[in-house]
Amino acid sequence: MADVKALLAEFDEISKNPRKMLDSYLAAGEKVIGSFYYTPQPLITALGMIPMGLWGGQVNPQVAGKYAPIFTCSILRSSLEFGMTGAYEGLSAVLMPILCDTFRGTCAAWRAGVNIKLIPFVHPQNRKDPGALDYLIEEYKYVKTELENVAGKTCTDADIHAAIDLHNKKNKVIRDFCAAANHHLDLITAVTRHHVMKALTFMKPEDIIEKLSQLTAALNELPDYEWTGKKVILTGITAEPDDMLAGFTANNIAVVGDDLMQESRLYRTDYPAANSAMESLALQWLNIKGCSMAHDDNSRARGEHLVSMVEENGADAVVLCMMRFCDTEEYDQPYIIKMVQDAGYMAFSIDIDQSTSDSGQALTKIQAFAEN
Amino acid sequence: MGETTEVKKKKRPLPKSRVMLNALVDSIYQDAYEAERKGEPVGWSTSIFPQEICTTFGVPVLFPENNAAGVAARHDSGRFIQTSEGELGYSNDICSYARLSIGMAHDIATDPNYEPPAQRMPRPTFLLCATNSCFQLLKWYECLSRDLNIPIFMQDCLFNCFEDAPADHRNKYGKSQILHNIKRMEELFGKKFDWDKFEEIQKISNLNSRLYDECVLMNDKTPSPLNGFDLFNYMAPMVIARGRKETTEVLLQLKREIQEHIDNNTSTFGSTKEEYRVDWEGIACWPNLGYNLKTMKKYGINCVTNGYVGAWSLHYNPGDLEQMASQYMLSSTNVLSTNSMMGKRADVANHFGCDGMLCHINRSCKYMTYHMFVGRQIVEDKCNIPVVTFDGDQADPTIFNEAQFETRVQGLVDIMKQNKEDK
Ligand code: SF4
Ligand code: SF4
Repeated sequence: MADVKALLAEFDEISKNPRKMLDSYLAAGEKVIGSFYYTPQPLITALGMIPMGLWGGQVNPQVAGKYAPIFTCSILRSSLEFGMTGAYEGLSAVLMPILCDTFRGTCAAWRAGVNIKLIPFVHPQNRKDPGALDYLIEEYKYVKTELENVAGKTCTDADIHAAIDLHNKKNKVIRDFCAAANHHLDLITAVTRHHVMKALTFMKPEDIIEKLSQLTAALNELPDYEWTGKKVILTGITAEPDDMLAGFTANNIAVVGDDLMQESRLYRTDYPAANSAMESLALQWLNIKGCSMAHDDNSRARGEHLVSMVEENGADAVVLCMMRFCDTEEYDQPYIIKMVQDAGYMAFSIDIDQSTSDSGQALTKIQAFAEN
Repeated sequence: MGETTEVKKKKRPLPKSRVMLNALVDSIYQDAYEAERKGEPVGWSTSIFPQEICTTFGVPVLFPENNAAGVAARHDSGRFIQTSEGELGYSNDICSYARLSIGMAHDIATDPNYEPPAQRMPRPTFLLCATNSCFQLLKWYECLSRDLNIPIFMQDCLFNCFEDAPADHRNKYGKSQILHNIKRMEELFGKKFDWDKFEEIQKISNLNSRLYDECVLMNDKTPSPLNGFDLFNYMAPMVIARGRKETTEVLLQLKREIQEHIDNNTSTFGSTKEEYRVDWEGIACWPNLGYNLKTMKKYGINCVTNGYVGAWSLHYNPGDLEQMASQYMLSSTNVLSTNSMMGKRADVANHFGCDGMLCHINRSCKYMTYHMFVGRQIVEDKCNIPVVTFDGDQADPTIFNEAQFETRVQGLVDIMKQNKEDK
């Protein structure tokens, strides 16, 4: 139990202080690459550098408005603000996947306002097309070359394979933690779960494997806890701030799974075995299912995924954490809510807006659900 | 993106090119109705999909963005947007063309008393989606595909993060998609693809692009022979019939008419003196077009050019599918980096002798708005002309504010006037 508490406190600390983490990497002479979603992180690891997630943060942007219209999604607006005000100083480069119109726009805004090398690249959306794989392999080769320039060295296929194995192991460790957490919902509340998951985006894969395995092992040693309150699955880009998440716990609701970009979406699709390391990286993108940013010929893939998550985890509801001004998620919103409801479960949306600390509207909805 | 054939009802008789254009548009809708009646395939397509393919198959395709612009210009968009936001629960943050079209598709599919707009869209049996204009299109078409239970043929046109021409691996992916889409369409339509006819259609498409460019360029004269908003009308055949001979006829006629204006020193801008030549950036505010025109005329402003209308001009060697695919990855303001796009705009504004630039900060079209935020400096530096913005939307009538528009136009005029006096 002491182990669990101490480890949770470590994750909590990291999740709240990414800048401190970055400074410690820099002090150790490491190079760090800022990483938005769905970037080929094993390439960074293979070159001996550290990937760190960029998630913006709770801030009311003061300077980002010079290059980003007010209806820029909350997360990229705050990321741009941080970039423009020096919060990301020390990053050697930033990997930016052009996955939506806001990324298209932020690519230009970043170049205009932020003095950190940008490596933009584009995933193929016609993922079933026979040309998509070859295209993405070549696109990742360009990313690799750019990263090699930053690292000042090259990497071999074997280096990337080793990094892929490490990241796949990391994914499994994270999935194991999520599964174990559901047996200890008294300890792993919505807030603590989020802190663990967010901290992971700032940590080296080897550290994740070590620390999170310890946490999972420590949890597994404890007797299972019988949760009698309600259970939900979260979906969306991010679920923050803590005030909002604390509303779940205050209303006796546990989070038993997530389909959040900042959390499980990043780890649920492994890099598969392939003819080459680069092919493995590319195939991972082609294998992603049920994500708003990856077009699927099955236009109900995400809804189906959410319904099965509810069923597998014995949840009562899906909560869509709707990132303010994220049109990518807004197009999915009506159908996933309806599909989950048609399957006989509750589903509702709450707004996530990093520019305000007021979670009043979300808390009211959470409370209404609890009382329902 | 989108445009309309019905910008404004004019009291003067329409020029012959417009009569021909309207007849062409009408016949394309009639072909689609006929196919619908016979239970044959009918497509809905994003505005810069490789139209050459379905034109070769002889399968009718209509364009929701083009149609939405017309519906909005006739002040009929509200009810469809209402269906989307109300009954269907879509956020008012998403593109208004999408809201309009998703609402319309829903009404078509579910409302037995559905009242179509003036230009009725038939119910589609398949979708064509190119990602060049934006990413929202893809999400929008996913919604249509789900609601109507019909397949999407996608031409993924990768965003150009850099200023260079698309790299080889991008063009190869583009070509692969053209080939794969043709194969899938052969199966869906139950028809063999005629490769010789395809090359013929490609030739016509290229000819039309060339003619269209020539017509646009002829407006660099002073006064400009066309009122810049006229170009919004003539985009229609380029969007919906780029591969057809009738479009060649329309453009040849238009060219003759422009030449006549040049020879006679006249303009469709009318009797108002062209005091200021302005580059209008962005899509029109279709519901407010009349007001915009009237206000600008009041100040003697002629919008002589608009970079956006060039998006349908694609040039490649017929038969070269990689080059064709490459052109589709370059032909939208929204698929290019801001440096390339606004750099080009600045060149055009210089060439046309513009005194200023008026930018539509379009609530629907996020990336286009980004261009204006980041790019106004590029234009100001390269052309040394004032850049003024106003808030609006291409189809949602609730965003535009008449007073703000006029104030911004006045502000632009003040600077342009001062600049002229200083010269
Ligand atoms: S997917 Fe949504 S939240 Fe993510 S960058 Fe795009 S608009 Fe922003
Ligand atoms: S967002 Fe812009 S480019 Fe995309 S469909 Fe709407 S108006 Fe067209």
